[in-house]
Amino acid sequence: MAEIRIENAVKTFGKVTAVDNVSLTVHDQEFVVLLGPSGCGKTTLLRAVAGLGLVDSGRVMIGNRDVTYLPPKDRGISMVFQSYAIFPHMKVFDNIAFGLKMQRMPKPQMIARVQQAAELLHIENFLDRYPSQMSGGQRQRVAVARAIAVQAEVLLMDEPLSNLDALLRLEMRAELKRLLAELKVTTIYVTHDQIEALSMGDRIAVMRDGKILQCDSPSTVYDTPTDRFVGGFIGTPPMNFLQGQVRRENGAARVFIGDFGLIPVPEMLDTLLTRDGEVVVVGIRAENMEALNQPAEDALQVRVLVVEPLGSQNLLTIQIGSDIIKVSTHPDFRVAPDKDIWIRFPSDKIRWIDRDSGKTLLPAVQIAASG
Amino acid sequence: MNLKKVNWAPYLLILPSFLYLMLFFGWPMIRSMELAFRRDSQILPLRTEPFPDSATVGKLERGAEVTILDVIKSEESSTGGLLSKKSFWLKISGIDVEGNEIEGWAERGPVFVRDASRSEEGRVVDSSVTVYAEPDETGASVGELPQGTEVTITDWDELEGGVVAGGLLAKPAQWFKITAETADGDTLEGWVKRGPVFVEDTRISTTGRVDKGEGAKEWTLDYIKRMVNDRRFTESLRTTVLLMVLILPVQFTLAIIMALVLQSRLKGNTIFLYIFSIPLGVSDLAAGLVWFSIFTQRGFLNSFLERLGLIDKPYIFISNENKQYIILAIVLAEVWRATSIVMVIVVSGLQAIPGELIEAGQLFGANLWQRLRHIILPLLMPSLQVALILRTILAFQVFAVVVAISGGEVVTVLANETYRWYEVGTYNNPNVAAAYAGFIMLISLGVAVFYLRAVRTQEERATQK
Amino acid sequence: MSAGTVTSTRRGLDAAQRRAIRARKLRRVSVYGLAILISLWILLPIWLIGTMAFSTRADVRSYPKHVAPVPFSTETMEFFLDTEGILTATQNSIVVAVFTLTLSTAIAAPTGYAISRYLFAGRDAFRLGILAVRAFPIVILAVPLAEQFRDWNMFDKVYSLALMHTALTLPTTILVIASVFASVPVELEEAAKVFGCGPVAAFRRVVLPLALPGIAAAAIFTFVMSWNEVFAAILLTLDNRTLPARILYTLDKSGDPFKFAGGFFMLVPSLIFIFFVRRYLFNMWGQITK
Repeated sequence: MAEIRIENAVKTFGKVTAVDNVSLTVHDQEFVVLLGPSGCGKTTLLRAVAGLGLVDSGRVMIGNRDVTYLPPKDRGISMVFQSYAIFPHMKVFDNIAFGLKMQRMPKPQMIARVQQAAELLHIENFLDRYPSQMSGGQRQRVAVARAIAVQAEVLLMDEPLSNLDALLRLEMRAELKRLLAELKVTTIYVTHDQIEALSMGDRIAVMRDGKILQCDSPSTVYDTPTDRFVGGFIGTPPMNFLQGQVRRENGAARVFIGDFGLIPVPEMLDTLLTRDGEVVVVGIRAENMEALNQPAEDALQVRVLVVEPLGSQNLLTIQIGSDIIKVSTHPDFRVAPDKDIWIRFPSDKIRWIDRDSGKTLLPAVQIAASG
Repeated sequence: MNLKKVNWAPYLLILPSFLYLMLFFGWPMIRSMELAFRRDSQILPLRTEPFPDSATVGKLERGAEVTILDVIKSEESSTGGLLSKKSFWLKISGIDVEGNEIEGWAERGPVFVRDASRSEEGRVVDSSVTVYAEPDETGASVGELPQGTEVTITDWDELEGGVVAGGLLAKPAQWFKITAETADGDTLEGWVKRGPVFVEDTRISTTGRVDKGEGAKEWTLDYIKRMVNDRRFTESLRTTVLLMVLILPVQFTLAIIMALVLQSRLKGNTIFLYIFSIPLGVSDLAAGLVWFSIFTQRGFLNSFLERLGLIDKPYIFISNENKQYIILAIVLAEVWRATSIVMVIVVSGLQAIPGELIEAGQLFGANLWQRLRHIILPLLMPSLQVALILRTILAFQVFAVVVAISGGEVVTVLANETYRWYEVGTYNNPNVAAAYAGFIMLISLGVAVFYLRAVRTQEERATQK
Repeated sequence: MSAGTVTSTRRGLDAAQRRAIRARKLRRVSVYGLAILISLWILLPIWLIGTMAFSTRADVRSYPKHVAPVPFSTETMEFFLDTEGILTATQNSIVVAVFTLTLSTAIAAPTGYAISRYLFAGRDAFRLGILAVRAFPIVILAVPLAEQFRDWNMFDKVYSLALMHTALTLPTTILVIASVFASVPVELEEAAKVFGCGPVAAFRRVVLPLALPGIAAAAIFTFVMSWNEVFAAILLTLDNRTLPARILYTLDKSGDPFKFAGGFFMLVPSLIFIFFVRRYLFNMWGQITK
C-alpha cells in the first residue's frame, strides 16, 4: 500500500510562492500527472514528495507514514530525472545497480534485479557500456531501469520525456505506460505536455501559480474543465472562449452572442438566470461545433478568416464579434477564406464560465450538493 | 580546383601574443640550455701557419703547459677586403691530447702566457694602455702608457667572476701588475688588463698555459656536476619534495571542503566566497611574513601558548635545531596562501556537475560520504588533475615563503638555490643557476607527464574493462 | 479536512521524523561552523599582522603580543614607509604592474577574442600551448632572461621587468579574456552586423561594452600577479627593485617592525582588488580548467 497524500503543502522561494496550500491524494497504484506551464510549481511539489526540497508547511504522507521531513532515502521512493541524471563515470550496469548497492544488496540478487530491469527496458545488451556510448533514448531507458530496479512502491517522474525528440517521445510514451501498468507502482508524473498527460495519466492535476486547479480523469479534464485556464491549456487547439450576454427570454435564460441566442442545457438554466444581464464566457471545443454550408435556424452565420487543412480535419479560424475561435470540420467540408458559413453550438457541449473568476459555472443542484 | 578561402583574421589576432610568447618563453629556454650546458671550447688546435684556416697539426687540452717560441702580429683582411682584423699569433710547442710533442701556431687569445718566475718583460701592443691602481676597471687610474713601452711584469691576477660595475658584470679577465718607465722618465706601477700588453721575453723562451679553446662553444656537464655536488643540492631537493608531499594532501582536502561549503549555498555565501578567495591575491612573500609574525620568537604563537600557561618562556621555533617547526610554519603558510586557487578550480568543477546527478545519488540512498566518494570525486577528477598539475609545478618553485620564514639558510629549497647561485652577493654563477632552473623545469615536466600518463592509463583501464 | 489533522502535523511527529529534522539542523549548523572556522583561519593571520602594522614600534617588539592594535599607532607603518628605498620601490612596483597590465591586456585581448570567436586550424594546439605555458615554471625564465637583458643592456630596468611580467601573466590573461568574450553571445554580434554594423563597429558597440567589466577584472588580476611577483623581480633588478624584491633583499637585516609593516603593506592592494574581481574569479578559473 503506497498512497501518497499531500496536505496543505506550502513552499516559498523568497517572495515567490511556488506551492500554495496544495492538497492532493494519489491512490495506491494510481498514475497521476502533474500538468502545468513552467513555473507553476509542479516540479517543486514533486521534489517535496521526493524529499529533495522540503515544504515550509503542510505535510507529505506516503503509505500512511508521515515523511514530510525524512530524507529521500527513507521514503521508499524512486525517481526518474528530467536530465536522466545517469552517472557518466559508471557503466550502465553500475548505474542501474546504484540504488541496490546503496542498500547493500547481496551481489547475486543485485545482478538478477539489474538484469530484470534492463530486460524490461530492452537494454540488457548495453550493460557493459558507458552512458557516453549511448543515444539519448537509450540513456532515458537506463534512467527508468535504475528507477524501477529498486522496486520502490512510489515512482516519481520529472518530465522524463522532455529531452527526447518527437518521434522517440511518442514511442517511449506508450512503452512507459505499458511498463507502469505492469509494475503497479504509485506514480506521480510531472509534465508540461498536455498530450502526454492526457494519454498516460489515470488522473491529471492541472496546476497554475502553485495551485491545483483541477484534478480529474483525462476525459473529465478535457470535456468539463472547472476553470477557463484548464480548458485553454488542454487540447489542441485549446477550448474556444466567446463573450455572451445572459438575457431572460420567455422566463428561461438565453445567452446571446450578438443577436444569436444560445440555449443552455436545462440544468444550467437556474444558475444562469441569477446572472441576468451579465456577461459570461462561453467555452466550447473546436470539434464540438458543427459547421454548415447553408443557413439554419439554430446556426450562427460567421465569416471564415483562415482555413488550415490538417489532413484528418480542416481547422477554420473564425471571427465572432471581437473573439477569434477555431472550428474543426470534416476534411471534406468545402470552404474558402472570406466566405460565410453557419455553425451550430450543441447545448450539451457548451461550458459556462464566470468572466471575472474564470471558474466554470455549475448547475444549481451540484452547487447545493458540494456546498 | 577546390580553393578554400582561408580566414586570416584569427591568425592576425593571435600573432602578437604568439610572437611575444615565443620571444619570452622560447628564446630564454634556449638561452637557459646554453647557459647550463655550453661553455667555451676546451681544445685548442695548433696550426701549421699563423692563419685561422691553415691546417692543424694537433690539439692542445685546456690547462696544457706550453712553450712559446715566437710571436708575430698579422693583419688579415676578410674576403670582401672591407674589414681587416689585427691579430697576434704565437708559435707554440707542447704535448697534444694524444701525448705527442707538437709545434704550431695559435692565436694569442686562448693562451695565457706567464713565466714561472713571475717576472717578465712585456710590451704595450695597443695604441695606449691605462694603468690602474687596482685590478679593477672602475677604480682609479694611475697613468697611461703609449704603444711600444717596455714593461716589467711583477705580479698577475686572474679574476674569474669579475666585479660588479654599475650593475654590470665584467667578463672574466686577467690582470698584470707592471712597472714601467713613462716618457717623462718616471716609474709607473700599477695594473693593466692583459689584452693590450703583450708579454715577451727576449732572453728566455716564455712558458704559457692553454686557457681556453677557440671557435665554437662546446657541451659540458661541468655546471650540472657542480650543481649536483653542491652540498645544498640534495638538501634543497629533499626539502622541496618534502614540502610538496606535506602540503598537497592538506591543501586538496581543505580546498574540497571549502568548495563544498560554498556549494551548499548558505546565507551569507557571498561573504564567505570573498573571504575564501582573499588568499588568491596574497603574495608568497607577504604570506611568509604573516606566518613569520606568528612563529617568530616574540610572535603570536608564543604569546598564545604563554597565555594558556603551556610555556613560561618563549620557545624558539625558528632555529637550526628546530627544522621541523620551520617546515611546519612553511606548510601552514603555503596551505593558508595557495589553497584558494585549488578551491576555485574545484568550485568551477563542482558547478559543472549537474545538480540532478547528486540528487539522484541522494535519492537512491547514498549518504554524504557515499555521494562524495562515488559521484562527486569521480566527476571532479578532471578539475582535480588540473589543480594537481598546477600546484605540483608551483610547489617546485616555492621560494619567498621559505626565505621569509627561515631566511633561506637553515631550510632551503631549489628556487632559493637558483637565486643564491645567480645572486651577485653569493656565488654569481649564472651557469649553475641556469642548471638549477633547468632542473626545476625538468622535474616539473616529469611530474606533469607522469600525472597525465597516470590519468590516461586509468581511463584506458576503465574503458577496456 | 478538519483542523485537527493540521495541528497534528506538528505535534504528531514520529521518532524518525524528529531524527531527520535534527540531522538536517545539525548538518546546517556544522556547515556554518565549518564556514566560520575556515573564515577565521584565513582572516586571523591577516588581523594579527594588521595589528602589528598599526601598533607602536615598542609594542611590536614587546612580548607577549596583544591581539588588537591598542594603542592604535601609525608609527610602525610610517617607519616602514620612511625606510630608504621603500617609496621608490613601491613606485617601481606600481609602474611595473601598470605597464604589465596595459601590455598584457593589449596583447591578450585580440588573442582572447580570436580563440573565443573563430574556429581556425591550430586553435586547439594554440590553446593547449597557452595552457602549457601557464603551468610553466617561471623561475627557469628569470635566469636566462637576466643574462639576455645584460647582453642587451636592459638589465635592472623597470620596463624590462614589466616585459618579463607580461610574459608571465599573458597566458592567464588570454584565457580569462577568452572566457569573457565567450560569455558574450555570438548572436548579439551577429544581430549588430545584420542591422548595419561592420565587424569593427559591431565589436565596439556591442561586444566591447558587454565584455568590458570582465576585461577590467582580468586586468586587475594581472596587476595583482605583477605586484606580488618576487623571484623574477629580484633576479632582474639591482638598484631598481620592486617592493617585494626590495623587502626580500634586506630581509635578513630587517627588524620585526619592518617585516610586519611590509607584509601588511603588500597585502592591502590584494584585499581590495580581490574584492572587486570576486564575481569573476570562477568564470576566470572555470575556463582555465577546461
